[in-house]
Amino acid sequence: MDGLLLDPLVNLILRWSFILLFGLSALHKLRDFAGFARQLADYRLLPQGLVSPAAAVVVGSELAIACGLLIPATQAAAATIAAMLLAAYALAIGVNLARGRRNIDCGCSGPALRQTLSEGLLVRNGVLIAAALFCAMPTTTRDLGPWDWFMAIAAVLTVALLYTGANTLLANGPLLKSLTPDYD
Amino acid sequence: MTETLIISNVILWLLVLVLGALVVALARQIGVLHERIAPAGALMLRGGPKVGEALPEFDLQTLDDQPLHLGGASAKSTLLFFLSPDCPVCKTLLPVLKSSRLSEADWLNIVLASDGDVQQQHRFVLEQELGMFPYLVSTELGMTLQVAKLPYVVLIDDTGVIRGKGLVNSREHLESVFEAKERGVESIQEYLSQQLDEAV
Repeated sequence: MDGLLLDPLVNLILRWSFILLFGLSALHKLRDFAGFARQLADYRLLPQGLVSPAAAVVVGSELAIACGLLIPATQAAAATIAAMLLAAYALAIGVNLARGRRNIDCGCSGPALRQTLSEGLLVRNGVLIAAALFCAMPTTTRDLGPWDWFMAIAAVLTVALLYTGANTLLANGPLLKSLTPDYD
Repeated sequence: MTETLIISNVILWLLVLVLGALVVALARQIGVLHERIAPAGALMLRGGPKVGEALPEFDLQTLDDQPLHLGGASAKSTLLFFLSPDCPVCKTLLPVLKSSRLSEADWLNIVLASDGDVQQQHRFVLEQELGMFPYLVSTELGMTLQVAKLPYVVLIDDTGVIRGKGLVNSREHLESVFEAKERGVESIQEYLSQQLDEAV
């Protein structure tokens, strides 16, 4: 099992999935930076004055992680930082779930999909953190042939599709709940 | 044998991709369905005085210390809009309220009502430029009307009788409360069930 997880192909798939994830999410946030700052403010974790700088730091780190994963020398460090950032998100979501503030936008998936907070997001982040930590582990070396590249592309596409699907389902959950009158 | 495995692997990957795309499309479709079938009008919640009953009379103070009387006969109808600085959906409805204040001015007064920390309410009014609305901070009012979810509206006609109420999440919901009053039905849910009864 260890051998499989440390194979360079697994690392390649994880790495490119995270590059897509962080790159796209940073782009979404940049495109609607004011909106993202508002979402961050709604989390009510920071004093008003710190919200904008913090939003800039978040977008900056996401971009840095995406770029860092591209470069072999920095990829392990970037993957570790990615795990830490994801853990910070999970903490922010967890704090607001504990406060009962579910009805705020998670800010996870860009402006197209409004997603309220739920325990499902914590599970999702847990899976992402585990994947990021695997991605930070050193790999064995072997030459990658054309089949490896085919598999890598197919697997990254599949991961992207499944991730989008899972997020859409997480966003649909509260909609279903709100159709039941008098729920609490 | 190896060749068969390679071909099988390629086919399987393609099938996995197609399945993944189908899952995304299905999930998206469920989302769209939810948007379409979500109650098109303000959702009524149980509890509190019913539509058709008179609102108990209240003598309250607005945030800028003006006296405000609610209930009983008055010149215009009153829309009580319950909101809170903590409620993101409420903020999205504020522009609708501001435009309704002008477009419905001939028959309607809009009163905002909230609860909790007065300082925070003052900041909220400044930030969102709500100075043109009377703004009540009263736990009593919310308790009497049993407002459990925000943003919540209660529409009171010029004789002090409640004509509509419910949870409003969009412009359409708010307008449905006005519409319900015009048509003399309690809520869009009642209207729809009447329509169904007539159809049967």
